Amino acid sequence: MSGHVAFRGRDEADFDGEADYVVVGSGAGGAAAAVTLARAGARVAIVEAGAWRDPDDYPISAYGAMRDMMDDWGSQVTVGRAFWPVVQARTVGGTTVINSAICVRTPDDIFAQWERDHGVGELRAEMLAAQDVLERELSVEEAPPESRGRSNLLAMKGAEALGYPESHYMRRYVNGCAGSGQCLQGCKKLRKQSTNLNYIPETIARGGMVLSCAPVDRVVFEGTRAVGVVGRFAHPASRARGTRFQIRARKAVIVAASATHSPLLLMRSGLRHAALGKHFRAHPGTGLFGCYDTPIDMNTGATQGWASTGFRSDPGLKLETLSMPLELIGSRFAGGGAKLIERLSEFRHVAMWCLAVRAESEGSVSRSLFSDKPVVRYELDRGDMERFRQGMVLIAKQHFAAGARAVIPGVAGLPYKIGPDDLGVLEEAPLDPRRYTAILSHLFGGCVMGRDARTSVVDHRGRVHGTTGLVVADASVIPTNLGVNPQHTIMALAMTFARDLASR
Amino acid sequence: MTARPLPYAKTSDGVPALRDPHMNWLVRSALAILFPPTGDLPGVDNGGLDAFVARFRRETPWLLWLGVVMGAMVFHLTPALTVHVPLPAFLLSPALADKHADRIAGSRWYLIRQAIFILKLPGGMAWGADPAVREQFALAPMERDPGTWRTS
Ligand SMILES: Cc1cc2nc3c(=O)[nH]c(=O)nc-3n(C[C@H](O)[C@H](O)[C@H](O)COP(=O)(O)OP(=O)(O)OC[C@H]3O[C@@H](n4cnc5c(N)ncnc54)[C@H](O)[C@@H]3O)c2cc1C
Ligand code: SF4
Repeated sequence: MSGHVAFRGRDEADFDGEADYVVVGSGAGGAAAAVTLARAGARVAIVEAGAWRDPDDYPISAYGAMRDMMDDWGSQVTVGRAFWPVVQARTVGGTTVINSAICVRTPDDIFAQWERDHGVGELRAEMLAAQDVLERELSVEEAPPESRGRSNLLAMKGAEALGYPESHYMRRYVNGCAGSGQCLQGCKKLRKQSTNLNYIPETIARGGMVLSCAPVDRVVFEGTRAVGVVGRFAHPASRARGTRFQIRARKAVIVAASATHSPLLLMRSGLRHAALGKHFRAHPGTGLFGCYDTPIDMNTGATQGWASTGFRSDPGLKLETLSMPLELIGSRFAGGGAKLIERLSEFRHVAMWCLAVRAESEGSVSRSLFSDKPVVRYELDRGDMERFRQGMVLIAKQHFAAGARAVIPGVAGLPYKIGPDDLGVLEEAPLDPRRYTAILSHLFGGCVMGRDARTSVVDHRGRVHGTTGLVVADASVIPTNLGVNPQHTIMALAMTFARDLASR
Repeated sequence: MTARPLPYAKTSDGVPALRDPHMNWLVRSALAILFPPTGDLPGVDNGGLDAFVARFRRETPWLLWLGVVMGAMVFHLTPALTVHVPLPAFLLSPALADKHADRIAGSRWYLIRQAIFILKLPGGMAWGADPAVREQFALAPMERDPGTWRTS
């Protein structure tokens, strides 16, 4: 049994399969775990909810990206005081297909924190070795000078003028970025190394198989042992349910369906753990637009090319550039009618730079009474909101230092634009999250790892406490925030867990 | 006796979806006021808006479409709050409707702001994809999204 099986309608026979390992989800964690097991000689079946889209299938518009690539059109929002979007992908390759491929090593203090607060040691050496492999195999490179684009260059200029620490052009899993600014729709130029282009085809080449359009309903147990998964195919366009599938796992099931879907899947599978769905964390982020006299054309150049990690510990922020397509600016800029169109007419002259808060606030993931979607309860506490606001001030200052004549803060109740002398307005901005437009794209927790089965869901090898043959290998096991972009950490963790499994 | 069609159809999710074409009109008329032609820039109602709204309705999950319809209802039913005229937005003069559009989008009430934000989302996508708009920003016209995937 190898190759690829896509959607099967209700009129077709149920699909039954068997493999040594069944991996649920094909994103950062799932693909890294699958290829590691396949390289160890195992037969691996990857079961992925989304469709398999090759670069020729990738959408061009933001509309197409939401329809074809995002989980539920990107319409998941937090439940709390403010409704902030929780953005993830649903496609073969997971969120690596629509992300910016920024690659940052797991900081040392994170390993220390995991050991001190969660009793999870022994991972550092293995994970750093895995990160060496990942960087080599996924061609990690600094955004090349010819594809930096004006927005990234200006961000560097502003940061240097202000002496912002650890200001740098990003390192990304990209081989020769052509600067098309299309990372969030999938890289049609085949430069970005999303997992659908490498680890997933390699898993098939090593005798594995991929089921796409195949959302897993639940993990099947015999006693406490996980022995497979079951679900029903789902059509990628109509969302109609197809025939049933079931894949038996001879050795283990690896769940890597993301920080929101993995806890949900384990709940649906009947697992009861006090910590399941708890300790959900994120790096909520927002962008400020600088208005410049000369055109910036932020959609030319690497989608994200500049960052500063120098504020990671104090106050707990990451700063970075991000280009936003014209189609999404229409809802992002304030107002309506002729005033909105006048504001939009400035599009060529604006650059968006962002902050992501290393938030300490915790939320939860639970089952909805009305649908099979996760409910994400989450809001920032006062300390995190203060950090959020500090980040906005840092970005505004950076824009002015780079030559912006005004900044659009995007805070309800504040002036639409502020000048260099109005920074006080931002410094004193209200801390009510409902005033801000933010998104959550770096997610953690829900199946956190730890030694203590009362406060965690998996152990330091990703094994679900109280079960055998069941491992979680994605963002959901991370018990802390990171303060840096998470893909590198998630992939290294998944590889480490998979190596451990294969060696047993 | 001829059977009367049900007022709703089941979507692929098995969820009732209102079939009423007035919903499309409600959304498209709100979007046309929110994104009007201004200066050299065309507005969102530049030829393909009806087709866009119909497609958006067909392709989005029902909950998102419901959010957009709610946004359009809020938009049309609130001129009393913004321009102090007890008429729906679609009956206002163009100048008053324009004033209403700007004021309601910046409402002090979060739920109203969110409702208009959800409504602006498809509006911005339709407007920003229009080749005539893109030309003004030196952006190439967008090819059609393939909407394809591996089937074997
Ligand atoms: C817009 C955006 C930009 C980002 N940019 C960066 C960046 O530049 N660098 C970085 O480090 N991080 C970035 N991130 C974050 C990073 O991409 C994610 O943290 C990472 O991909 C998460 O890995 P994962 O394996 O946990 O989940 P995912 O990569 O999301 O994969 C989960 C997969 O599981 C599938 N799935 C879910 N439920 C089921 C089910 N029931 N059955 C079968 N399959 C299922 C999903 O369809 C999905 O394909 C970004 C995120 C976003 C949204
Ligand atoms: S900027 Fe363009 S070429 Fe570079 S990685 Fe992103 S999509 Fe690919």
